[in-house]
Amino acid sequence: MSSVYLILPVVLPIVGGALTPLLHLSEKKRNLYLETLVLVTSALALLCVLRRPEEGVTMFHLTGNLDFALRLDGLGSMFTCLIATLWPLATLYAFEYMRHEKRTTSFFAFYTMTYGVTLGIAMAKNLVTMYLFYELLTLVSVYLVMHPMTRKALRASRVYLYYSIGGAAFAFFALVFVVIFGSTTDFIPGGVLDVGMIGGNTQMILVAYLLAFWGFGVKAAVFPFQGWLPRASVAPTPVTALLHAVAVVKSGAFAVMRLTYYCFNVEVLRGTWVHAAVMAIAMLSILYGSTMAVKETHFKRRLAFSTISNLSYILLGVSMMSPLGFLAGMSHMVFHAFMKIGSFFCAGAMLHQSGKKYIDELNGLAKKMPFVCFTFVIFALSLIGIPLFAGFISKWNIASAAMDTGSSYPFAYLAVGVLLYSALMTAVYMLTVAVRLWFPDQGYDRASNEGITDPNWEMKLPLGIFAAVVLFFGLCSEPLMQILRVIAAGGL
Amino acid sequence: MSGSMELFYVVCFPFAASFLCYLAGRRHKIVRDRILQLAVTLEMGLMIFASVSYFRTGDLEFFLEGFCMQGMYLKLDGFRLLYGSVAAFMWMMTGMFSREYFGHYRNRNRYYFFYLLTLGATMGVFLSGDLYTTFLFFEVMSLTSYVWVVHDEKKAAMRAGEIYLAIAVIGGLVMLMGLFLLYDAAGTLRMSELHGAVNAVLSQKMIQIYIAGGCLLFGFGAKAGMFPLHVWLPKAHPVAPAPASALLSGILTKTGVFGVLVTSAEIFRYDAAWGKLILGLGVITMFGGAFLAVFSVDLKRTLACSSMSQIGFILVGVGMLELLGEENALAVRGTILHMVNHSLIKLILFMAAGVVYQNLHALNLNEIQGFGKRKPLLRGIFLVGALSIGGIPGFSGYVSKTLLHESIVEYAQELSALGEPSFWIRGIEWVFLLTGGMTLAYMTKLFASVFLEEHPTRQKEYDERTAYMSGESTFALLIPALLLGVMGVFPYLTMNPAADLAQGFLHGEPPAHSVHYFSFGNLKGALISVTIGALVYFGLIRRFLMGNAEKGELRYKDLWPKWLDLEEKLYRPVIQRGAAAAAGFVCGLTDRLFVVQALLKGSFAAAAFLSRCCDYLLDSLLVLLRRTTHRSRTERHVYLIGTWFSRALGMVLDYFIKNVLNRTIRRKNPIERSFVVTFAEWEEVFRRTNRLISVSLSFGLMLAAIGLCLTLVYLLWW
Repeated sequence: MSSVYLILPVVLPIVGGALTPLLHLSEKKRNLYLETLVLVTSALALLCVLRRPEEGVTMFHLTGNLDFALRLDGLGSMFTCLIATLWPLATLYAFEYMRHEKRTTSFFAFYTMTYGVTLGIAMAKNLVTMYLFYELLTLVSVYLVMHPMTRKALRASRVYLYYSIGGAAFAFFALVFVVIFGSTTDFIPGGVLDVGMIGGNTQMILVAYLLAFWGFGVKAAVFPFQGWLPRASVAPTPVTALLHAVAVVKSGAFAVMRLTYYCFNVEVLRGTWVHAAVMAIAMLSILYGSTMAVKETHFKRRLAFSTISNLSYILLGVSMMSPLGFLAGMSHMVFHAFMKIGSFFCAGAMLHQSGKKYIDELNGLAKKMPFVCFTFVIFALSLIGIPLFAGFISKWNIASAAMDTGSSYPFAYLAVGVLLYSALMTAVYMLTVAVRLWFPDQGYDRASNEGITDPNWEMKLPLGIFAAVVLFFGLCSEPLMQILRVIAAGGL
Repeated sequence: MSGSMELFYVVCFPFAASFLCYLAGRRHKIVRDRILQLAVTLEMGLMIFASVSYFRTGDLEFFLEGFCMQGMYLKLDGFRLLYGSVAAFMWMMTGMFSREYFGHYRNRNRYYFFYLLTLGATMGVFLSGDLYTTFLFFEVMSLTSYVWVVHDEKKAAMRAGEIYLAIAVIGGLVMLMGLFLLYDAAGTLRMSELHGAVNAVLSQKMIQIYIAGGCLLFGFGAKAGMFPLHVWLPKAHPVAPAPASALLSGILTKTGVFGVLVTSAEIFRYDAAWGKLILGLGVITMFGGAFLAVFSVDLKRTLACSSMSQIGFILVGVGMLELLGEENALAVRGTILHMVNHSLIKLILFMAAGVVYQNLHALNLNEIQGFGKRKPLLRGIFLVGALSIGGIPGFSGYVSKTLLHESIVEYAQELSALGEPSFWIRGIEWVFLLTGGMTLAYMTKLFASVFLEEHPTRQKEYDERTAYMSGESTFALLIPALLLGVMGVFPYLTMNPAADLAQGFLHGEPPAHSVHYFSFGNLKGALISVTIGALVYFGLIRRFLMGNAEKGELRYKDLWPKWLDLEEKLYRPVIQRGAAAAAGFVCGLTDRLFVVQALLKGSFAAAAFLSRCCDYLLDSLLVLLRRTTHRSRTERHVYLIGTWFSRALGMVLDYFIKNVLNRTIRRKNPIERSFVVTFAEWEEVFRRTNRLISVSLSFGLMLAAIGLCLTLVYLLWW
């Protein structure tokens, strides 16, 4: 397959999305148009992954050795697959969810454009391209946070903008350093830093890495830049679910992976103070997120805090600076996407059907919404890391990577403790909800549950698929792990 | 996928059946009940089928690669066969019993679904050949059995469920931690390879392995009900429906014991320090459980406390088999047999309690007093269980307790022979005998209240209930009771072969000399226990714990202080308030007064200040300039209009008008206006018109030119 086709899945949703408001379609036709657009894009993206062109495609030339170019490699394919699978389902869910909202056309326009931009991040060939798409992602998705146009939403979108742009500025340092000290800006497994050129500048490189880790980490809500994520949960559920649990935040984690394993040489970083620093940052985020989630009573915000801690699981895996750690990070990236988008969709379905936002109002809802609540239990168990569900696999991977790194670098042992603490907290914050749903205290407010039903198929289908995926990967993760192992080893 | 498929079927069949049962239950209740009974019977059949293969070919193995990453490794050896069969048997019996018991319950579908899921998971635990597989199924089992505990959805059940779930989750996580440490140190989790692997690295990684062992003990011990993690047991077991209680007490606790056995026999084989730890915890559990049971006035709660105490007995056996080193045959056999006995006994007793509950919907001894007085069948069945657990010669419990007792005595003798102080082990022996006596006492208390005494008011009503259990339930109760009876009467034919079969698992050698269970020395121990039991019953229970309310009625008093509860006083406050509040507070603090926000605000302020300064710098420069070089002029400014020509013309005219016309012709009516302005306006009008004309002229010219060009093009090319 010619590498020119790589441009299509990136450009198609951006152009198609931008055109939506101009077409003046009726709601039904618009939905059909968008779903077709998204499906076609997904099909194209998956086709690109399946018949992957070896070479990249340069879209245009910026200056010097900086190109704006796309290319699919193993890691990018993984992310592309993830996005391409989730987006059509999330769009389907969004149609039903947004039915009674205002300004839906502009919402969906931006929603679809975000798809293209995210694919751009996944397919970027070099750091410059990724950086540009990364900035673009901020700009495109800020409208989605703003969409309810309430005071709170406007504030949240402003905070999001500040954090993201600020983070990108940090990341820009790294870009400069890679341009100066790297042999090329392309992503090459094992890094591009020219060890000969670094010379006595190692400390500077380390500082640049730390800044970039934080900079790209802002999107992954890494401590101390996590503040925007819980605030942004004012956005409509499809946004919080897809963007703030998968696309945007995973882009952050993905960027950190690119940075660590494809730009900076892991050998240069391993065992230095910055290695400890990034591990400590990830651990702190985990502790912070999972503890705050327990404290939070707003359902979606609780999930947002949970996202903070889970994204840092990925970063913790990445920060092990070993193939095992990379594998662990990728596996949690994939699995967490399914469980978290699923949990958010459950929360959204409950909110949509019953209007209940706070956890203490959810008593006994399972009697009325058995399907949604059942899938929620699966996602909850998976998030905790109960065996037979996907979350267990990735957590096991992270912990064994930590044990592996720990043998040469004992600080990593601490990660296992942090993981277990977090798993316990996860059990508390997820199971309390699940128990409330299924086994309410006697004498709960039965009247408030009157007339609530399971949502229609557009909402149930994604939930069912996600739950099935979580179960499937829990039982049979080996094929996927094999692929990821090859990617982690620098193959593909 | 390799190895014997029988094992795979044994584990997977219940999972499949659970879904089938659930789906059937949505359509038809009776069909569902039958499917359930069929499923548990089939499971027993599958187990027998696997056993047959075992006897034909020896140990069976099954490995499923890639299942949950590390793969599922199942194994069937003697002990696993024994315990797998016990589990299948218990499920079969409770399955038979459930139909009547749950006759009027709600949410039965849910219950049966989780009932079968738990069966599969429990089988998985007992057949697991590596600790990873154990852990997988252990977690599943812990969670699915939670649904049993909260099945009633009453307040007590929910509260018990909370602590059950908490302990299950915490225990599971700690166990997982232990597994990581162990795997890191030993590099394997296969039970058969663990001993060698651990021994190879023991000298370098001593601390890590002991921490790992501690974590595993925590996880498994929590499920077994070991002190100090027993808090959930006396609460969760009584609130569950009776068949579930029987399983929780009889078999789920044994999964914990199974783990403790593996840890002890494979990781810390013959390790005296480890043995002492388990022994100590076992003694406390054993005595504590019995003590709680003596004070309890609730039928099922007493049985639950008794379970805890019996687990203590088993743990004492585990401790002894570590301490005795290679000559631990007595302890090994005692431990295994006591596990089996306890499972069967609790099966009977809890189901009997279920019979009481399904008739009276009460479990308090004061309410159910005299229920069984004229029900010889139930009485006989209960009596078998009670005497067995009390360790009366002729019943099965006696055999296992004797073996355990003997092992303690043996160790004491060994210590004496070595010249080391043996008083502590003598002390433990006495606690052992005392607890045996207390067991007898609380069982007497239960038996006497339900089957011997009379209810002060409702005795007649109770006696009229002749159809108090269905044929199925009778069958379910009678079979295990008969089995226990046979085991008790013919220990050499039944229990010895069972022990022979299973002892390889714990690396026990056959005993040097066969134990004569009914020799005088052994009967003496039982006699001492019986004496103590009588003393406790008559001296403590009848004297202090029962009172004559009025007219010679015997009432049971609940003298157990309510405040004495580890869970309420220690665990809940510490976890819920202390830890949560502290962690939440810290994180909340970071959220609010967080450095970044402070930094952000600081940097904003600084930036604002600097830019304000820059702002003012420019402003002040401007002010300075205005004050100095660009000072505004003070004299009046004359604005000029028009061009020099119109101005001159206007001024001349103005002068002329002012000085000539206004003085002559227009004297009465002088012209005031200035013609400078008028001329300037005229001039402006003229200029504008001029421009218009020139523009329109040039525009016209341009159009003409374009026309000419087009004409030219036309002429040239067409």
